[in-house]
Amino acid sequence: MLSIKNLHASIGGKEILKGINLEVKAGEVHAIMGPNGSGKSTLSAVLAGREEYEVTEGEVIFNGKNLLEMPPEDRAREGIFLAFQYPVEIPGVSNVNFLKTALNEIRAYKGLEPMEAKDFLARLKEKQKLVELDGKLANRSVNEGFSGGEKKRNEIFQMAMLEPKLAILDETDSGLDIDALRIVANGVNKLKSPDNASIVITHYQRLLDYIIPDVVHILYNGRIVKTGPKELALELEEKGYDFIKEEVGA
Amino acid sequence: MANELLAEQISKEYEYGFVTDIESENAPKGLNEDIIRFISKKKNEPQWMLDYRLKAYRYWLTLEEPHWAHVTYPKPDFQNIIYYSVPKQKKQLNSLDEVDPELLKTYEKLGISMEEQKRLSGVESRIAVDFVMDSVSVKTTFKETLAEKGIIFCSFGEAVQEHPELIKKYMGSVVPYADNFYAALNSAVFTDGSFCYIPKGVRCPMELSTYFRINSAGTGQFERTLIVADEDSYVSYLEGCTAPMRDENQLHAAVVEIVAHKNGEVKYSTVQNWYPGDKNGKGGIFNFVTKRGICLEDNSKISWTQVETGSAVTWKYPSVILKGDNSVGEFYSVAVTNNYQQADTGTKMMHLGKNTRSTIISKGISAGFSNNSYRGLVRISKGATNARNFSQCDSLLMGDKCGAHTYPYIEIKDKSGIVEHEATTSKIGEDQLFYCKSRGIDNEKAIGLIVNGYCKEVLNKLPMEFAVEAQKLLAVSLEGSVG
Amino acid sequence: METAIKKNTITDKLLAEFEASKPALFGDLSLREEAMRSFLKQGIPNRKSEEYKYVNIDAMLKGEFSFFTYRPLMVKQISNTRFLKGAINIVLVNGRCEEKLSDMTSFPKGLEIGYIADASFNEVFQKHFSKYADINTDAFIALNTALANGGAFIHVAKGAVIESPIHLINISSAEESTFVNSRNLIVVEENAQVKLIESFESVDCTAKTFTNSITEMVVEAGAIVDYTKIENENEQGYLINTTQVYQKEKSVVTANTITLSGSFVRNNLNVALDGEHIETHLNGLYLTNENQVVDNHTLVDHRKPNCNSNELYKGIIEDKSSATFNGKIFVRIDAQKTNAFQSNKNILLSDEGTINTKPQLEIYADDVKCSHGTSTGKLDADKIFYLRARGLSEISAKKLLMHAFASEVVDAIKIESLREYIEEKISKRFE
Repeated sequence: MLSIKNLHASIGGKEILKGINLEVKAGEVHAIMGPNGSGKSTLSAVLAGREEYEVTEGEVIFNGKNLLEMPPEDRAREGIFLAFQYPVEIPGVSNVNFLKTALNEIRAYKGLEPMEAKDFLARLKEKQKLVELDGKLANRSVNEGFSGGEKKRNEIFQMAMLEPKLAILDETDSGLDIDALRIVANGVNKLKSPDNASIVITHYQRLLDYIIPDVVHILYNGRIVKTGPKELALELEEKGYDFIKEEVGA
Repeated sequence: MANELLAEQISKEYEYGFVTDIESENAPKGLNEDIIRFISKKKNEPQWMLDYRLKAYRYWLTLEEPHWAHVTYPKPDFQNIIYYSVPKQKKQLNSLDEVDPELLKTYEKLGISMEEQKRLSGVESRIAVDFVMDSVSVKTTFKETLAEKGIIFCSFGEAVQEHPELIKKYMGSVVPYADNFYAALNSAVFTDGSFCYIPKGVRCPMELSTYFRINSAGTGQFERTLIVADEDSYVSYLEGCTAPMRDENQLHAAVVEIVAHKNGEVKYSTVQNWYPGDKNGKGGIFNFVTKRGICLEDNSKISWTQVETGSAVTWKYPSVILKGDNSVGEFYSVAVTNNYQQADTGTKMMHLGKNTRSTIISKGISAGFSNNSYRGLVRISKGATNARNFSQCDSLLMGDKCGAHTYPYIEIKDKSGIVEHEATTSKIGEDQLFYCKSRGIDNEKAIGLIVNGYCKEVLNKLPMEFAVEAQKLLAVSLEGSVG
Repeated sequence: METAIKKNTITDKLLAEFEASKPALFGDLSLREEAMRSFLKQGIPNRKSEEYKYVNIDAMLKGEFSFFTYRPLMVKQISNTRFLKGAINIVLVNGRCEEKLSDMTSFPKGLEIGYIADASFNEVFQKHFSKYADINTDAFIALNTALANGGAFIHVAKGAVIESPIHLINISSAEESTFVNSRNLIVVEENAQVKLIESFESVDCTAKTFTNSITEMVVEAGAIVDYTKIENENEQGYLINTTQVYQKEKSVVTANTITLSGSFVRNNLNVALDGEHIETHLNGLYLTNENQVVDNHTLVDHRKPNCNSNELYKGIIEDKSSATFNGKIFVRIDAQKTNAFQSNKNILLSDEGTINTKPQLEIYADDVKCSHGTSTGKLDADKIFYLRARGLSEISAKKLLMHAFASEVVDAIKIESLREYIEEKISKRFE
């Protein structure tokens, strides 16, 4: 589904990603862990198409298409979904209106008619339940006045509505208390299918108690330095990131 | 629908900047008592009207221009303005065929139909239009239909001739000529405008509208509007304004007065799109307007809704005096400034009666190098028991070269009053746009979504036809300001 | 010396107490002495000091005070104060930690609780004690830092999620006027989560108690703290409650302050947001009656970019009581993209009651979203009428509306049994 080869990216002339290689297949959950400043958020930003980052080398192929040539909205329309670490507030634009616009833009891209209002509402109700999102939040402006936990839940709700092929969860656990974390993880698990895949980016191991990854990658200094089964996350939590630093001899 | 309109309009610049090639009859430049006599004579006015003008003029001479607003502009040279300019036409018109074809073209470009059966933009409801070009009212539609209900809707000049008792009774009763510098000037030199009277118990069956246009070079526009809603009556009134693109600054100093009697209700909506000047701040209209309504008797209601995108400098505070008990005043405003525009606008809600209520929703959007100020006064006088006000003033900044300022003044003299004030300032940035894009929404749609979302509470208050026009205007005004 | 001629003022008494108790004070004595000097320089605040202009502290401190009152309370006397289900209860009587009244036997992994004096040799204590509550900003901080002899120390280790709430029960109990200086230090390490409740109650208390309590709370990166204060002393209770919160990046703090009773309550809640992507929620509710004086001062100090703060304080003022809300939002020049909201709403039920509300926004960064709103009014006559038209009596209509008004704050409390307890208190209050 996703194939990243020797990806280099920099911001303001400073190289952050120094040759990332990653293969994600349909049905898989990949966890990417790493200390602060290792390039985790840069990777998600580059995949989603943030313009501040310059890709200097390498390629990203998503379902046979060159992802790096697409503007961000086309990446979304092709099925990439980024759950933001810090979701943005958009005053005055209701969640419902925002999602309807997004959904219909994506449909138009695929040559489909806009969704019938009643189908849209039915989907809205169904997916709200999935993340235990209060119906009131759906009618409020996008993320405006939401607590950090509500914003994160809203990201997963949007993901459920847009049904992406590849979801990238960028530190979705940060700022979530244990109860909210369980709800969010539960939502993500329910959305899992043999046709889609997800990349879970996190600093701490806690989230991976609830979303069980197939593969764990450790990102350090712009490179994936270690890949292993889910137990690797526990080992990392126990020994701390210093053990990686020692192991790679940085 | 809004989104398609936005997409279609987003790449346009000021599209009403054309000049109509119509011969006009002008007064000589400058201002003195002779000019005032000239205007009065041209309009065939009775002596009392001339006396009123001269009184106002003599008072105006004693005044100085106000400086307290947060705007800077070159002082207009009042001797370099033409105070009277009339499109020349053959006497009284008998049918539409006799109208100067150039004038008809003007209306077409503005999207206004002079023919009563046509519609503005395919929307169902009917609108009666009074068209004011430069100094005079050119044509009023649907007059007969309205007359059947006893509604008077005509040019101000005509009202002076036909309904002098009403004009004498109400003119200057809300905005006295001594009110302020520009009100005094207007009272001296006003040339035309609209008059509207809704008799007792009548609900006006259609929207009434005045379309103002400055066409001739070097002219100032000084119109007056007077709306009277008698007991148990209702009217919704719309005002639109455009002007050609000229390098010089032109002055527009209007006065609008509204009187609402017992249980009477007036809803006044404005889409102000005077020429704002070019990208470098050259040219544009100075829009110095005094608008005020009085809820004279119990249970009356006056509501101002405005979408302000035009003018180089705007100075305007549509206000309501809440005199009758249980009366209601409302002010809903969207003010957009871009490039080098300056706006100092807001409202005054003067609570005098018991249980009076007012609501203020102000949405300022500043882009480019512009400055956008909200200035509002809420006064609860002694004896205005249980008065209530809710104010919300939001500012949206686009880019970092523009300014947004809020000056709320709150004066509470009665302990039982409840005043609530909320204010926010926020910025549209790359982050919000990227967030939309990463959900599959492109740049243009994203800006439309955000701006219309932000203004929603105000746009919802506009009549349908105006809401569509307002949304288009917002997109055009903010073109190129983000992303 | 001139000081000897001076009459025996409260300041003299405090100085004498300091000298007498010096040998028994925990921690660094030089810090204590510096704090005392700072206090003497500042003096007891009077009405001329801007921060205390609505209260008369001098009058409250007239007469003789004892500085340490030992009260051996029985378990059954305090059982009502242990109202939280499944909580770890720590009972402090006049600042003194009472082990036999507390649940000090075993704690979940990662949690450490102790008497503050016992913790003074602990590294964590030494790293953080008195680093956040600045002795030069407030005379009562200085005084507490000089004289504190009781309080608790709570430490939550890195990554630990403590699911049981921790309840610090502060009991005032005296037969003669008592002045208590109590001090807590709470340190929540990186990525840890904890729920804390601090309550203030009077038990078997027949004399005036003046409590000067300070809580310093450090919330490290990614940690989440849910903190609720309930002030419920009797008419002999005078309470100055200072909470100094220091937050690091990506941490989340919710602080609820519920003031139900007590003759005088002054809350100083100061939060420093010293890291990016911090979230802070401050909720307050004060229900005042009779001659009560409640004064809430909050300071939200945005020091770094990309943080969110949200503040909602609501009050219902009855009789001759008086309430003050003074909320300051400070956005430093570096704190771009700050989102800060503040709202204070009051219902004034009597003509003799007073409400002073003073929102202050001091913003030095240019790309921020800040808002404040304030309202003071009576109960909505239209709503009362509507309810009466549906058959409710005027009294029950009013009660219903007051309850609805308060519920916006109470609903923000996440712990169910705590929320129920507070709701019950409110219901009783409006009976």
